[in-house]
Amino acid sequence: QEHVFKLHHFLGANAPAQTDMLEPWARQVEENSGGSVKIEIYPSMTLGGRPPELINQARDGVVDLIWTVNGYTPGLFPRTEVIELPFVYENDPAAANLALADMYDEYLAEDYKGVEPMFLHVHAGQGIQTVETEVRSPADAEGLSLRIPTRTGAWVIEQLGATPISMPVPDLPQALSKKVVDGALIPWEIIPALKIQDQTQYQIEGHDKTRFGTTTFQVSMNKARWDSLPEDVQTAFRDASDRDWLAEVGQIWRDIDERGIQVAVDAGNEHITLTEEETAAFQESLEPVVQRWIDDVSGQGIDGEAMVEEARRLIGENASGSGS
Amino acid sequence: MTDPVTLGIIALVALVLLIAIRIPIAYSMILVGGVGIALVNGPQLLLSQLKTLAYGQFSIYDLSVVPMFILMGELAIVAGLSQALFRGANAWLGWMRGGTAMAAIAGCAGFGAVCGSSLATASTMGKVALPELRRYNYDGSLATGALAAGGVLGILIPPSVVLIVYAVIVEANIVTMFAAALIPGILAVILFILTIAIVVLIKPDAGPPGGAATRADFVQATLGLIPVMVIFGIVLGGIYAGYFNPTPAAAVGVFLVAIYALARGELRLSTMTEALKNTARTSGMIYLILLGAELMKIFMSRIGLPQQAASWIAESGMAPMLVMMLLLLALILLGCLMDSLSMILLVIPFFWPMLVEINGGAMATAETSAYGMSTDDLKVWFGILALIVVELGLITPPVGMNVFIISALARDIPMIETFKGVLPFFVTELIRVGLLLLFPALTLWLPSVIGG
Amino acid sequence: MAFDEAQTRSGAAAAVAQAVTAWALLGGVVLLGIVVINVLSVAGGIVGTTFPGDFELTEMGIAIAVFAFLPYCQLMDANVTADIFTSGLPERRVAALRALAALIAMAFAAILLWRMYLGMLDQKTYNYMTTILQVPVWWAFVPILVSLALLIAASIISLAENAGEARR
Ligand code: NA
Ligand code: NA
Repeated sequence: QEHVFKLHHFLGANAPAQTDMLEPWARQVEENSGGSVKIEIYPSMTLGGRPPELINQARDGVVDLIWTVNGYTPGLFPRTEVIELPFVYENDPAAANLALADMYDEYLAEDYKGVEPMFLHVHAGQGIQTVETEVRSPADAEGLSLRIPTRTGAWVIEQLGATPISMPVPDLPQALSKKVVDGALIPWEIIPALKIQDQTQYQIEGHDKTRFGTTTFQVSMNKARWDSLPEDVQTAFRDASDRDWLAEVGQIWRDIDERGIQVAVDAGNEHITLTEEETAAFQESLEPVVQRWIDDVSGQGIDGEAMVEEARRLIGENASGSGS
Repeated sequence: MTDPVTLGIIALVALVLLIAIRIPIAYSMILVGGVGIALVNGPQLLLSQLKTLAYGQFSIYDLSVVPMFILMGELAIVAGLSQALFRGANAWLGWMRGGTAMAAIAGCAGFGAVCGSSLATASTMGKVALPELRRYNYDGSLATGALAAGGVLGILIPPSVVLIVYAVIVEANIVTMFAAALIPGILAVILFILTIAIVVLIKPDAGPPGGAATRADFVQATLGLIPVMVIFGIVLGGIYAGYFNPTPAAAVGVFLVAIYALARGELRLSTMTEALKNTARTSGMIYLILLGAELMKIFMSRIGLPQQAASWIAESGMAPMLVMMLLLLALILLGCLMDSLSMILLVIPFFWPMLVEINGGAMATAETSAYGMSTDDLKVWFGILALIVVELGLITPPVGMNVFIISALARDIPMIETFKGVLPFFVTELIRVGLLLLFPALTLWLPSVIGG
Repeated sequence: MAFDEAQTRSGAAAAVAQAVTAWALLGGVVLLGIVVINVLSVAGGIVGTTFPGDFELTEMGIAIAVFAFLPYCQLMDANVTADIFTSGLPERRVAALRALAALIAMAFAAILLWRMYLGMLDQKTYNYMTTILQVPVWWAFVPILVSLALLIAASIISLAENAGEARR
């Protein structure tokens, strides 16, 4: 092989993110290149450093490719956060992935200095998972302490009158079991790995799988490395990351998420789907989070209002079934 | 230049050479790891990674308990908790033949419950218990041997710095590791006390009985145990019961010990300064080794050595239990030369992925695995076994830090006597390792009850 | 309260030793501050209020404190060594080896100072911040760079002292 790439990420080799997404994508790139590309995947931070350092590693060329969570480095991706906002993102990861691609050139590119994103994607969205509190209205969440997913996720929790708590992911099961926290704002996908079903009683989401915001991920390459690649190799990467792939990634994360909630349901947990009216009450209550984000980014000269509008429009346009 | 095994051997030889010429272990690892990365992948890659690597390592949340527990141990020394513990234990045990040495062991165990370091435990309990052991004409070999061995309890009884570092490397839950260490730790206390009983049975003059305490002294000494029990109960009890995570728990521990020291009139600007300086020395030393180990890990990953070694062992067809025993033996041998923390940091990033492979992958369950337990359980079990054998290095010649510390306190007793005195305890430890190997439940039962 | 570390030295060496010790104690004060934050967090948890951002302040504060400890470790020769192979050597030879170790420490500290300075600029340029309190991460790098500069100074002292002894 002429072109060997090291792809570094923070999860284990058996995590669905690697087996179901990164590996198939890497094999596709290799196949597209006719064998001139080889992508070696290094899980669990084996090439050193902590997860927040992944983005520097790509930017500085310590590794060639990374898969990381944007939220690990708050402040670096203010524009991309638009897709994470509650009721901007509702329930369709595929549509959100496509919307991110559609917005990239005009709105998001500034966030990615020094790296070349191969693709951006979201997970199926944050649900409310609680130890013993049945949450059916924003008032029910008041006073709870909930583990945060991201910066904007912390705002969601604050807006509900609950307390945002940070802690390392592996500490979460223990914290839930002893009620150090009352719950967490995280996707179903995490349930099996942390055995969250044993520590919680309720998994709560809105009508039609509507969630309370989501988290953005990126697969990115060092910019200089990208620029040095011959056109046919670049095409191999681009073709593997096309719109079909983005839709498929949405489906992959939807499937991982479904497997997660199934584990909880099988364990006898109550999976609450709010009614349309109840969901609307949350939307109304969480609208200030969107405004908070608009105000926050406008300080950096970003037209947040236009971005929210555009994101909502594009998510609608790309919604599954409407074709793209 | 491409064969990972050759490169790995060259690096290892370089590392041993540097360590042998008295370059600090941390800097030896930094040098070999750093130069290795620069040679294999070019200096620019290393330089780029150094922009954030150290900050990343030093700001690991789970490690924040390390300086806190060290400070807690230092303040416990200031507060005189070691005296109180020994006096309390001696009131109960001292009247027996060998009883004062048993009390020293019990004191070490109690002090170990508020201190995460073997060396600090050996030196503080040594200072407290040695004069008493001399007063009752203890055989020098038994007196110093018991104290050197008892110091090991500082780390075998949670909290334990080495255990925290192990948990961070293999991504285990610290609470689970602490829970797993408790029964093996108590087992060590019992076996050490039995060892003393056997020694004085064979050689009655070695440990003459102390005088029985007066009723008033007995009551007073026993009451003196209460503060330690309370602090221990709140901090570790709180962790085990899950009321707080280790870092806040350690902070509460520091706070409580400081309050106790203040109440006893021992916490002054001068003693506080001394405690902070000692904390600075120990914590700085530990974190620097961590950074060195990270650089070594990066180098080894980049040349592909762990994968190579694991597949080699897998192909050799060795029985899993034999592999485990060889790994533990390697740690005992290495312990003759290195300190426990460096060993864990240097070796576990190799050994652990290998064991995962042998066991059938990270997701292996008890039914399908080579060791008859899930990989999550294996992580805990192996961690405790590794902890014990690396701590044995503290009492084995030629470098046995605990023995050195006790020898420095008892200058009239030749070091060889101390090493002789330690021998029975070393044998006891091997028996304990055997028990834990044969009965994994000794390690795994408590974490399974506590859950999480 | 004088610092013992300075007493056996004179002139510039004494000043550096004093600065290094004072800096380590400041690091200790940061550590105590982190202890207090966590205690408040626990106490708050009992009465139902919380200390937002205790997690990120702990991460940042411990890193600052530990970097501040490194020069002191160098000054006090606290980094673990395996003395077994060199225990038979005359003191002069051992001093020469200590000088070599100090040289390595100095070179490493200098490289790290240079690289972490660039790292700080990165943190600033790309606007790294903490999640809840939105504290800029580069703030933490400022005291860390001071620590590394002091580590260089401490290494120079051990280098000079040990080289002097080796030539005796
Ligand atoms: Na301990
Ligand atoms: Na040894």
